[in-house]
Formats: sequence, C-alpha cells, structure tokens
Amino acid sequence: MDGLNQFLGAVVAIGMSADMLVVVWATLLGIVVGMIPGLTATLGVALVTTLTFTMEQNTAILVLICVYIGAIYGGGRTAILLNIPGTPANAASALDGFPLAKQGRAGEAMAVATSGSFLGTMVGMVGLALIAPWLAEFALDFTSFEFFWLAVFGIVLCGQLTSMDDPLKGWIAGFLGLLVAMVGQESLHAYSRYSYGILDLEAGFGLLPVLVGAFGCAEVFVVMRQEATTLVASQVGGVLRSALKSFRYVRTWLRSGVIGTFMGVVPGVGEDMGAWVSYAAAKRASKTPDDFGKGSTDGLLAAETGNNAAVPGALIPVLTLAIPGSAPAAVLLAAMVIHGLRPGPLIMITQADFFYSVVAMVFWASVAMLVLGLLLTRPLLLILKVRREWLMGIIFVLCAVGSFAIAGRLFDVWVMIGFGLIGFLMRETGFPIAPMILGVVLGPILDNNFRRSLSLTQGDPIPFVTRPISAVIALLVLLMIVLALPPVRRMLGQAKVRLLEGRRADG
Amino acid sequence: MKVEKVMRTDLISGLAVSVVGIAGFVEALRMPRFEARNADPFTVPGLTPGIVSFVIAVLGLMLVLRALAGRGASETLPIGVWPEGSVKRTLFTIATVVIYGGALFGRMPFIAATTLFVFVFTVGAEWLNPQRRMGLPVLAGWALALSLVAAFVIHYVFTTVFHVRLPG
Repeated sequence: MDGLNQFLGAVVAIGMSADMLVVVWATLLGIVVGMIPGLTATLGVALVTTLTFTMEQNTAILVLICVYIGAIYGGGRTAILLNIPGTPANAASALDGFPLAKQGRAGEAMAVATSGSFLGTMVGMVGLALIAPWLAEFALDFTSFEFFWLAVFGIVLCGQLTSMDDPLKGWIAGFLGLLVAMVGQESLHAYSRYSYGILDLEAGFGLLPVLVGAFGCAEVFVVMRQEATTLVASQVGGVLRSALKSFRYVRTWLRSGVIGTFMGVVPGVGEDMGAWVSYAAAKRASKTPDDFGKGSTDGLLAAETGNNAAVPGALIPVLTLAIPGSAPAAVLLAAMVIHGLRPGPLIMITQADFFYSVVAMVFWASVAMLVLGLLLTRPLLLILKVRREWLMGIIFVLCAVGSFAIAGRLFDVWVMIGFGLIGFLMRETGFPIAPMILGVVLGPILDNNFRRSLSLTQGDPIPFVTRPISAVIALLVLLMIVLALPPVRRMLGQAKVRLLEGRRADG
Repeated sequence: MKVEKVMRTDLISGLAVSVVGIAGFVEALRMPRFEARNADPFTVPGLTPGIVSFVIAVLGLMLVLRALAGRGASETLPIGVWPEGSVKRTLFTIATVVIYGGALFGRMPFIAATTLFVFVFTVGAEWLNPQRRMGLPVLAGWALALSLVAAFVIHYVFTTVFHVRLPG
C-alpha cells in the first residue's frame, strides 16, 4: 500500500509540475528519433544523455525515459509505412504492418500500433512496480559469487536469445564484449591492461562511445548500404476509432505485455525479442495463424505490445541489479551513474522515492505517447519523406558530437568510428551486437566479483557451486549451454515433430 | 546466398576470433603478478582477461571446425550480397566519416568542419543515387544550405542551450 501511495504521489507531482512540458517534448523527440531509419532508441538515448548534463537529476532521467519509450514506439511507423523498422525492436511489426498499409489500411495499422504500445507499456509498468521491489530485496542476499554468476548468466542467455539460430556467434560476441571491458586500468591493483602505454587506452573504452558506434555509426553504414525505400501511399484516416478497437483484444495485449516485460527483464535481450516472442506466441494462440504475415491486426498488436512492454521490463534489472535489460537501458544505466544515482539492490532502501518516480515517469511517457501518436498521425508522416542522403550525414555529426561531449576527448570519436566499423562487420557476418554491448557493461562486474570471490576462498572454486543461489544460477547457465548444443537441439526438434504427429494422429 | 560463401565467411570470422582470443591470452600471461608486493595470486590483473581470452579462442576454434565440417550455415548473411550501388555507397560513407571524425573533427573549427562534411556527404550520396532528379548546381545549392543550417543549429543547441563544450 505504501508503494501505491508513493507511486500516486509521484504521478501527481510530475503531473502538476512544469515537467509535463518536458514529458511532451521528450516523448515527441523520441518518436521522431524512432521514426528515422538510422536513429535507433539506443542512439537517441545516448545522444540525449549528453544534452542532460546540466539538468536536474530527476528531470534528466525523465527526459531519457520519455525518449526511450517514444523511440521504441516511433519505429513502428517506419515499419508500417516503409517496411523497414525504425529501430530493431520494430522488425516484427513490419511483418503485418506493411501488408496492412499496402491494403490501404495504414491508419488502422498505426492506431493498432499506438494502442498496443500504450497497453504494453502499462503492463510493463505494473510489472516494474511489482517485480522490482521484490527483486531488490532478493538481491540483498547476493554476494560476489552470485554477481559473478549473474554476469555469466547474462552473457550466455543474451548470446543465445539474440542469435537463436546460431548461439555460438552470440556467445562469441558476448565474450568479445567482456574482453573489450578488460582494456584499461583495473580496480584491484590499478594496473593498466592492454594499454601499451597509450594514455587514452588506460582509461578504457567509454560505454557511450562504444554504444553510439556499434548502434549509431554502424546503422549509418547499414542504411547507406541498402537500396532506397519508398513510402506507401495509404489511407491514414479513422485512427481514433481503430485505436479503441484494439483494447478489445484483451488476451493478445495481456499475453504480449507479460511476455514483453519478461523479455525486458532478461539481461541484454530487450525490446526486439519482446516483439518477436510475443508475435510467435500470438500466432500460436490465434485461430487464424495463416493471416499472420499478410496483414493481421492481432500480429501487429502483439509485436507492438511486446516491444513496448520490454521497456519498463528492462528497467527492472537496471534499477535493482545495475544490470541492463536492453541496449538503451545500458545507456540509461550509464546516465543514472553520470547523474549521481546509484542503482542496485539497495535502491528500495536508499532511494525508494526515486524508484517510484521512475514508475511515474513511465506512466506519463506512455500517456504522452498515446496522445501524440493519435493526434499527430499526419504531421509525423512528413518525417518519413526526408531522404536518407540528406539525413545520414547529420546523424553521423550527432554521433561524433555525442561521443565527444561525454568527456571532451577526441579519442572517444575515434572509438565510436572504430566500433561503428566493427558493428557493421558483425552485422554483415551474422554476429549480434547486443551481447557485445552487454559484455562491455558486465565486464567490470564479472572481473571484480570473480577475483574478489577467489581471494575470499583462497582460490577454492567450490563455493561458486555450493552456495544455494550461486548453484541455481550456475545450473541454469549449464542448462542453457547444453540445450544449445547441436545434437541436443536436433534431438529436441525430432521429439517435437513426433509429439505433433502423435497429436495429429489422435485428432 | 550460396552455402559455401557462408561457410567461408564463418571460417574467416572464426579464424579472426581465434587470433583475438590467442593474442588476448598471451598478453594476459605477460601481465604482472606482483609477487614482490606479496599480492594475493587470485587477484592478479591477468586472471580474468586470460580466462575470457581462452574462452574466445575456443569458441572461435569451434566456429572454424563447424565451418570446415560444413555445418551451421545460415542462408541470410548479408555480406555475400554486394550490388555495385551498395559497394559505392558504403565505401563513400566509410571514407567520408573516417575523414570527418578522424581528421577534421577537433582539428578545424566545428562549424567549418561540419559544414564541409555535411555538404560533401549530401552531394556525394545524392550523386551516387540513381533516382536523383536534381542537377548538380541545384543540388549543390540545397546541400550548402542544409550543411550551414545543420552546423549552426547543432553548435547552438549543444553549446548555448545545453552548455556542452564542442571542439574548435
């Protein structure tokens, strides 16, 4: 009950203050960022972080959460009208959104996407308010052993889920990220690893330049590499009416909201998987699965609900474990640290007010997204008419400025370009980028807790697998690895086919 | 995309990953152990990077072996499909951003460097676009206007509105 009072208090406090103006412009900025191919939610949040340096703590986080939620939603517009997802999280939305637009039902598709995103964020927000306090309390029992395993768990799971067909490449990306995090001065002996006397390397690679490079600069290369796209001429009327209709698909949005929230909680996985898994679940549950991919409103609703539900879901591990649930959440985590906040298991003890303020921020951002999304359907279409040739140069300038502004180092601009090229090459060769970024974030956590644990036990590794929570996480890691082995996958696939055939024969 | 091309890509990627892993492992072994300081041997700086590098080398080797065995191929690796237009646009983009970010940014006044980059990028990218409708003089005029507006607006927003320092 205390929590509900604090949440309502925070909602009223933001609603009655000048911060409402911030909510409107930041959410609109997020929507615009999401709509522009080449500007992902991660890049949007990273670039806006540099603009929040001089803002008051809570206002800065409010701006970033509004941009984050707006961008994940805005990408759906591009998926519907151009058949290219504005952000990777909207790829599943293109499957049914674009066919709907081609049938002349773009207005309906945008309305479904808007209401789905709103409902998804609301379900995720409830998940955030309920799960985070419980998880924070549970995490108070974590010691260095558990944090070590949590980092390993994050890398293995993220590597597997972001590269379903090829977990090996996902794991390689994750471990490469861990190696990148090893560069620079370590905390126990102040020794500079892999620095070779280069002063800039001794400080290590900054998270934001790496993120802006891997997600922003690489995206510029990817967009310029692709063939030009054309906007679908379609009917955009009847948006309000269609939006209300979506609320009737209770099962779809509730299921997708829960799945999206859960996918958000999983370290590093985030919005893309929230959308894909929700979409797959909706298809399995549908009475007309053959309509999926041909313009199913159910499919579009599931994808858009799933990706937006993952946003508050991704905030759960950020706030309670200081581990990001997605790439944009990693930037948000870095921004919180820059602004003097200390996310982690103690958050509900030391900063409970801030936690409930974050929940209220999510609430207001989703309300603003709903209102702006429904009212500005036609004006927002103008953004999609801007040609990439006129836009990508400016986006790269923003990447350079954003990377430089964090510490005022030219080195960070070079790091951004370097990781842009690496990110581009990884995407070309089928390696997912998200596990690498998670590796960069989790590297220091894994390193410090591993060496601290070994030092405590005088080199005895047994407590890593005998402490109860450690043992459970270690077992989960082992299980994930075993399940990803090709012979086991083949065996499971064959068993599934036999089961389906058996059911068909019975039926 | 042919399966052999995917295998070749995986083989080369696996080799590159293994080399990174082995190099990282060798470097980790060379890191100091601080025996003279009586440091705890389980806190030495090379311990975690050594293990991480070893895992990378093993995973890279697994990718190599898998490619050699002709397994695990995906039909959808983008690197195998390079139409002429894509090659030109990608090389042009990489060249211009490397010159701007690596050579101009921070060494020239921000507004001058940014105007020059956006102008060259816009004109060049449009020039490579087969659907271009503008003639060169009109294109250059519009690109110049865009680059000047972009440079001044970005400079104003970052330095004056948000008090962020920019180079030059």
